[in-house]
Amino acid sequence: MAEEFEPKIVAFLCKWCSSAGSDLAGVSRMEYPSNVIPITVMCSGSVSPLYIFSAFNKGADGVLVSGCHPGDCHYIKGNFYARRRIALVKKLLEYVGLEPQRFQMSWVSAAEGIKYTQVIKDFVQELKPLGPQKKLRRIQ
Amino acid sequence: MVNLEELKKEASQILKEGKVKYIIGLQSSSNGLLPVPAFIKNPEDVEKLVWNPACVYNLTLFLRDEKRRKAKEKEPDEKPVGIIVKGCDSRAINVLLQEEFIKRDDVYILGISCENTGVLDEKKLAKKLKGKKAEKVEFGEKDDFVITTEDGKIKIAAQEVLSERCLECKAHFPVIYDVLIGEKTKRNIENPFKSLERIESLPPEERWKFWKEQIDKCIRCYACRSVCPMCYCDECVVDTISFVVTPDTPAEEKAQKIKWLEKSPVSSENFVYHFVRAIHLTGRCIDCGECERVCPLDIPIRFLNKKLEKEAKELFDYEAGFDPDQPSLVSSFKDEDPEDFIR
Amino acid sequence: MKRTGIFVCHCGINIAGTVDVKKVAKELSKHKGVVHAEDYVYVCSDPGQNIIINAIKEKKLDSVVVACCSPTLHETTFRNTSKSAGLNAFQCEIANIREQCSWVHKDMEKATDKAIRITKSTVQRVRRNESLEPISVPVTRKAMVIGGGIAGIQSALDLANTGFEVILVERAPSIGGHMIQLSETFPTLDCSQCILTPKMVEVSKHPKIKLMTYSEVQDISGYVGNFKVKILKKPTYVDPDKCTLCDECTKVCPVVVPNEFDLGLTGRRAIYIPFPQAIPATFTLDIKSCPGLLPIACGKCADVCEPDAIDYDMKPEIVEEEVGAIIVATGYDLYEKELLTEYGYGKYPDVLDGLQFERLLSASGPTMGKILRPSDHKVPKEVVFIQCAGSRDPELHCAYCSKICCMYTAKHAMLYKHHVHDGQAYVFYIDIRSGGKDYEEFVQRAVENDGVLYLRGKVSKIFEDNGKIKVWGVDTLTGKDIEIDADMVVLATATRPSKGADELAKKLKIAMDKDGFLAEAHPKLRPVESVTSGMFLAGAAQAPKDIPEAVAQASGAAAKAISILSQDRLYHAPTVAKVNINLCTGCGMCVQVCPYDALSLKDGKAEVNEVLCEGCGTCSATCLRAAIQVKNMTPLQVNEMIKASLGG
Repeated sequence: MAEEFEPKIVAFLCKWCSSAGSDLAGVSRMEYPSNVIPITVMCSGSVSPLYIFSAFNKGADGVLVSGCHPGDCHYIKGNFYARRRIALVKKLLEYVGLEPQRFQMSWVSAAEGIKYTQVIKDFVQELKPLGPQKKLRRIQ
Repeated sequence: MVNLEELKKEASQILKEGKVKYIIGLQSSSNGLLPVPAFIKNPEDVEKLVWNPACVYNLTLFLRDEKRRKAKEKEPDEKPVGIIVKGCDSRAINVLLQEEFIKRDDVYILGISCENTGVLDEKKLAKKLKGKKAEKVEFGEKDDFVITTEDGKIKIAAQEVLSERCLECKAHFPVIYDVLIGEKTKRNIENPFKSLERIESLPPEERWKFWKEQIDKCIRCYACRSVCPMCYCDECVVDTISFVVTPDTPAEEKAQKIKWLEKSPVSSENFVYHFVRAIHLTGRCIDCGECERVCPLDIPIRFLNKKLEKEAKELFDYEAGFDPDQPSLVSSFKDEDPEDFIR
Repeated sequence: MKRTGIFVCHCGINIAGTVDVKKVAKELSKHKGVVHAEDYVYVCSDPGQNIIINAIKEKKLDSVVVACCSPTLHETTFRNTSKSAGLNAFQCEIANIREQCSWVHKDMEKATDKAIRITKSTVQRVRRNESLEPISVPVTRKAMVIGGGIAGIQSALDLANTGFEVILVERAPSIGGHMIQLSETFPTLDCSQCILTPKMVEVSKHPKIKLMTYSEVQDISGYVGNFKVKILKKPTYVDPDKCTLCDECTKVCPVVVPNEFDLGLTGRRAIYIPFPQAIPATFTLDIKSCPGLLPIACGKCADVCEPDAIDYDMKPEIVEEEVGAIIVATGYDLYEKELLTEYGYGKYPDVLDGLQFERLLSASGPTMGKILRPSDHKVPKEVVFIQCAGSRDPELHCAYCSKICCMYTAKHAMLYKHHVHDGQAYVFYIDIRSGGKDYEEFVQRAVENDGVLYLRGKVSKIFEDNGKIKVWGVDTLTGKDIEIDADMVVLATATRPSKGADELAKKLKIAMDKDGFLAEAHPKLRPVESVTSGMFLAGAAQAPKDIPEAVAQASGAAAKAISILSQDRLYHAPTVAKVNINLCTGCGMCVQVCPYDALSLKDGKAEVNEVLCEGCGTCSATCLRAAIQVKNMTPLQVNEMIKASLGG
């Protein structure tokens, strides 16, 4: 039997909330799939659309951007800009036919270790049936 | 109907009065139907100016050249440049003002209303003429175009040969101008995003097939970028071809150039280029359609920009180029911006 | 090419239990630019740190990656270690392979693969790190405290007694806050006014405290150590130096409006003193209720004022101040009457909120400490106290626990019994939360000594019936329906952030939590700091608190502020935005998005005020030309990190 497909996911996590939330998941020893490589950024507002395109280009099967809940941003309003920017990128990617499940955004606070693990579990679960992302992956 | 004589009169007058240093307009070409840009300095040369349905160009593109030229001059002439714009082009001026690329005093705007017509889609016309060659296109009396072919003159209703974007246009008369030529006619556009439905209604995999096929064709000649008045960056982030190297550019900085994509024009890399361009034009593109017109591979680039224009309108109630004082789309937000896509 | 050293920590078995640390070190040793890679059982231990120091010296490392626990824990440790070996601190980065890897996975192979990717990604980042030095700024040795309740008073006194100048800003005509309205305080039953007024007097007499009542913060700019504040001083129309408190003016004032101090249980005039011990001791003409000064509609108060203290021409004044630190102690308000309709609150005169009942209990209150119900001034014989009125009710009201209500309800019921010996007090409750020194004993006293009847359950309906207030509820312990013909109902209404705190938070650029309370920088480790450096939180503005907690936090906030004010210079993280002038077109989009006003356009190009910049990077994601980037987290670095994360 063929080995089960394990999607590779890049997650841009806000240092103050989602990255801290994933730390909390760790401290609480909550198990979740190892498919996600976290990249901690200062704020979800600092995630440029280029990062997302680049990740898919470099072969990510899924990309996650996770920031603070509205009103909770460490930098007051960075997540509001992110919300707008990410909405547009998501619409664009879906428009050209990329599966909507492949690019997701979540609000995960520093206290939401459980939510973080759930987001990752769901993400991996949704990506598995899709198989590898070949549409935007770099053609060598 | 646009009164060319009125345009010439206004142009001649501002040159004579010394209000502008020159006027960016259009003149007939010796080759083909479409006119070519004209840079008129002398009042007597205004006779060269033309205005007809083949005046598809967005001349605001030349404001970029003007700005660069001016930056190099030691004692630049601070007088404004005269520029002839259609409604769509005038929105570009608003965006350039919004982004402080130009100042209001830099331009003297000769605005022309398209009234109930617009500009020609050459392909539609060719189809209509069934192989006959159009020698001349003029505005007719009643929302129609008068086409001169070897067989003489024929009249075609404008609606039949208008560019698709003109059929969806929200600015058929200039939204910013110093002089307005023509009427601010009323026009009803039922669905300004109708042309998108063709692609939007496809199932996702079909949509992917469509775009893959289109983007595959791209040879990355960057004509779309070169013709775009909004692509005024000295260096494009996705491609370092035009990397500005000045004497004080440190070696370290040259080494810091990011390779977001490979140079080879394969679809994966082409996608990155077109994605970045589309995202960077969101809330800035004013649908002049020039990128699509100049594409040698007939890639429907406009449908990428138009889609995001639609999303900006529907998600954020944002429209580019109507208000030079509004903050730009991605440097503003509302508390109630949609977030139903967020987990 | 940099010479990077990798140090993989076992953290005992915390990491090594699920991550093959030897393999991580081995794989990394093959990575481009890595000249040293080793694993060690506890890298944070002294011997572990010495390994780093020796490797830096022997292998001439110019950058270091420690693969270990979260950077929130040991980043500072290892940066200092690297620094002690002669490296720039910013040439050291942490790869989090514990919280984000070994602790959350069980499959060794997969966890090891992930740890390798995380570490490689960090190596790619550190390769492009710049050496940076902290940015240094001078300090204005003066503080501002916003809010003159017990928390603000305590902070101001602590600061002033340490020798720093303090500006205490209060929007009401007097300091004292809600504490001055209280009768007696749990669990000791001290008289609230008796313990607060000495502190209020101390504030008013303190040479280091500049008291600005009837004033509001209008605008704030600057940064930690160097804030510039504009304070609006509203006109009181009374010169406090001339006013002799003779009270003649109120006798002639024709206007009566509800008295805020008694929560509407009594009235006051348009010209008034909030309460006899008010600080500053002077009258205030409330222009909103006065018949008008433009033109003077009445003028009676000025006519009778013998010392000529009333000045109708007094104008609002903007006072500008420079301070180095700010303490926000804006306190709480009770949940709005309009939002809590189910208990007949605001509809029936004998349904009161906790603060109104405090006034009835207070010796200086409208009834001089006699418990009389507002509708007919009779002594209520059956009183129902309802806890969690608006709290712990996520569907309809506030989700959170207001914390102080269990205790003050026990106190109310107890004091009621002390006044009305033959009366009966009922308390409807969900749980009794009496954590605190002597708190549980206090509640037990109410039950055992004073015979307060506690009923576990919620009230379903309250309505007026034949001069009584019918209270329908259920006792969930016995399962019985309860019906009480009450003479008075007292609601332990939820506490909310004080009105206007949200606007102030926006001005100060400090965050709020989902309930509108001011957000602390870290829920456990930085509970008195706001997310904006140099601004601290005290009292119920941050979360519901009782008096000792508010006082403790106020002193904590003062200590935090002192730690800034006592410095000669402050240091600020140098990972700030940097503009590439060649690429910038001056579109101003970064200026618009900057949450800190750290960016501006100068000669058509963006310019960073490094002291204001917090390095969030929103500018860099907004810029279409990659002309602005945050140092040590540049798009180039992120791109390399993405590549390394996905590589292989």
